[in-house]
Amino acid sequence: MKLKGIGLFALGTLFGLEGIKLLSSKDAKKVYAKCTAGVLRAKDSVVTQVTTLQENCTDIYEEAKAINAERAVKDAEAEVSEEE
Amino acid sequence: MKFTIKHEIKGRLRVHLPMKRLSFREADTLEYYLSNFAEIRQAKVYERTADAVVTFACDRERIIGILKDFSFDKVKVPEKVFECSGRELAAEYYDKLVTTVILHYGKRLVLPVSVRRLWVMAKSIKYAWRGIKTLKNKKLQVELLDAMAITAAVHTGDFNTASSVMFLLKIGDILEDWTHKRSVDDLARRMSLNIDKVWLLTEDGEVMIDSSDVKCGDKVVVRVGNMIPFDGEVAIGEAMVNQASMTGESVAVHKGIGMSVFAGTVVEDGELTISVTQTEGSGRFDKIVKMIEESEKLKSSLESKAERLADKLVPYTLLASGLTWLVSRNVTKAVSVLMVDYSCALKMAMPISVLSAIKEASEYDITVKGGRFLEAVAEADTIVLDKTGTLTKAQPTVVRVVSFDGESEDELLRQAACLEEHFPHSVARAVVEAAQKKDLLHDELHTKVEYIVAHGIASEIDGEKAVIGSYHFVFEDEGVEIPEDKKSLFEELPDEYSHLYFAKNGRLAACILIEDPMREEVKAVVEELRTQGFEHIVMMTGDSERTARKIATEAGITEYYAEVLPEDKAGYIERAKAEGRKVIMVGDGINDSPALSASDAGIAISEGAEIARQIADITISSSNLESIATLREISMLLMKRIKFNYRTIVGFNTALIGLGVAGILPPATSAMLHNGSTVALGLKSMTNLLPEDKNESRL
Repeated sequence: MKLKGIGLFALGTLFGLEGIKLLSSKDAKKVYAKCTAGVLRAKDSVVTQVTTLQENCTDIYEEAKAINAERAVKDAEAEVSEEE
Repeated sequence: MKFTIKHEIKGRLRVHLPMKRLSFREADTLEYYLSNFAEIRQAKVYERTADAVVTFACDRERIIGILKDFSFDKVKVPEKVFECSGRELAAEYYDKLVTTVILHYGKRLVLPVSVRRLWVMAKSIKYAWRGIKTLKNKKLQVELLDAMAITAAVHTGDFNTASSVMFLLKIGDILEDWTHKRSVDDLARRMSLNIDKVWLLTEDGEVMIDSSDVKCGDKVVVRVGNMIPFDGEVAIGEAMVNQASMTGESVAVHKGIGMSVFAGTVVEDGELTISVTQTEGSGRFDKIVKMIEESEKLKSSLESKAERLADKLVPYTLLASGLTWLVSRNVTKAVSVLMVDYSCALKMAMPISVLSAIKEASEYDITVKGGRFLEAVAEADTIVLDKTGTLTKAQPTVVRVVSFDGESEDELLRQAACLEEHFPHSVARAVVEAAQKKDLLHDELHTKVEYIVAHGIASEIDGEKAVIGSYHFVFEDEGVEIPEDKKSLFEELPDEYSHLYFAKNGRLAACILIEDPMREEVKAVVEELRTQGFEHIVMMTGDSERTARKIATEAGITEYYAEVLPEDKAGYIERAKAEGRKVIMVGDGINDSPALSASDAGIAISEGAEIARQIADITISSSNLESIATLREISMLLMKRIKFNYRTIVGFNTALIGLGVAGILPPATSAMLHNGSTVALGLKSMTNLLPEDKNESRL
């Protein structure tokens, strides 16, 4: 128990001395930049996906409108022929 | 260019270009190329996916041909198209919106609960601060309620609610910002596209050229009522310049030789020759945008009544919450009242409604500077119409020149045109055009043009004092005499035309008869306006009583005022407003500007003088007056929609509170219903106000 405490304390001191340096080193910054770039890329691709989704939805909506317009025309024609 | 068809129905095609994405420039180029074909009804290019949607009214092969012919290098696009495209702005806000949504839902998947809580707490501080700041105004505003709801939620440990309230508020903020930017942009686009001709000072005198041909160092002449087209330095002359669009200061500033003047400001009095220091393409569009943004007008327009509707609810909500606590002695229940936040629903639905109405109006060539003006149009009961250029066609024509001094008619017309070409008024333009048609070229004969608004022009030709203008100006102000032997000729001048008098050396030289035919649609529009609830339809004109009477009868207008001076127009509007009426003014020229700014909503015809467009709250295309009726209809429908939204939001959410307090609905369900209804209303508010078939028939 005591040993563990001492171990942790030692580790903490070590981190305090060297760890901070390590975390703010040039190489570490490169890693951060890469991660951030990855996140931005992921975000960008999601936005693109949303745009694609939007385009497809519009396609479907327009097609649906066209179908209904055609039906309306057919119905109107049918009514006219019935009247005759 | 090669492309693949992604989707196809009759009359509509979606194609994909062989690249991953397009730059904003490329997308604009393609859209410009496509929309220049008459057979293409609408073209929309998505830069992000490199897709283009085309709706057309011709056979498929033709469209395929058009698309195949396209290449980015071949198409010549004017620089203005890029400057004014607004694509980047739309992309920016689209990106912001999607990112906000992704972040809100995405972080639930990625971040651990404890981190999320810290995040929510940190963000809530911002909203709390906003709420506290409103207390300074000594008014109960929505921001306070938002702050209380969010803080209460955080304190009771309900982080999900706090987070979703903040999320909806943020979406509302983005949309509101977008609405604002968009209307400013639309307006700037109109303004920057409209200045196309300028007077260039050359060694041989003044020449009218395209503003795009002006280079740095050129000398440009700007007269009263016109906008200074470029940044520059005053080379010759003195003038009072209205820089309101730039500084918000409505008092004109004196400008003399050597002083700097700025693009987009307006010469109110005097005349300037400007040495251009910066030409187009150097961010002029951005500058106009900035100018407008900074002008007071738009700032206050954001505070539209409809958008502040939510404020009314604040005291009631606080009261209800207090009552709940008194009755139940249960803090959670009291807080739950605060939690069903009306404001985020209202905040989202209102800007969306206004934005989509402004966008819809722009489809009819109507530019609205802010939601407040749609409100004013909807509530107005009085509409004042200027005659020349508004009720009549913008192009009056010269019928005949009657000579009083023995000179030939052509010679008189030439001299008159020489004076009139510096006057930004449609009657003046008619004289110039008549001279051009007869090939009566002229060198600049006269010395400096002295300008007198609304009445006419005074100058000198070959050392003789020359005046041209209305009866009032020429005979009463200038004391011009009619030659003795021509008195009978003067009496016999036909009544049905407007008269423009031209005098030299104090004697009448000519009367130019001008016909200004009324637009065909006026009668129908006046009738429509009447059915739309305008109690007073008033016509005003500087013209004589008889011309006014003739036009008014033709148009079906019973209330008209003739021989009105600009100040009187504004005066009438002020009086009407004092009587508690809401007044719209429609006009085109510089002599309308005091009236335009005095009215609740000033509508300018977009081909009119520059200053009118700047002062006006709304501009409409001059091609069709029906857009006034359309505007009224859109405004009224918008108000209806806003009221509907308001009632629905208040009713539905009050029911939710009731059910929540009574314990019938669990909090999670009520939160879901609350958010769901908010989104549904938002979506509904995006749809067009006018029925579609109307749209088609009008286009």
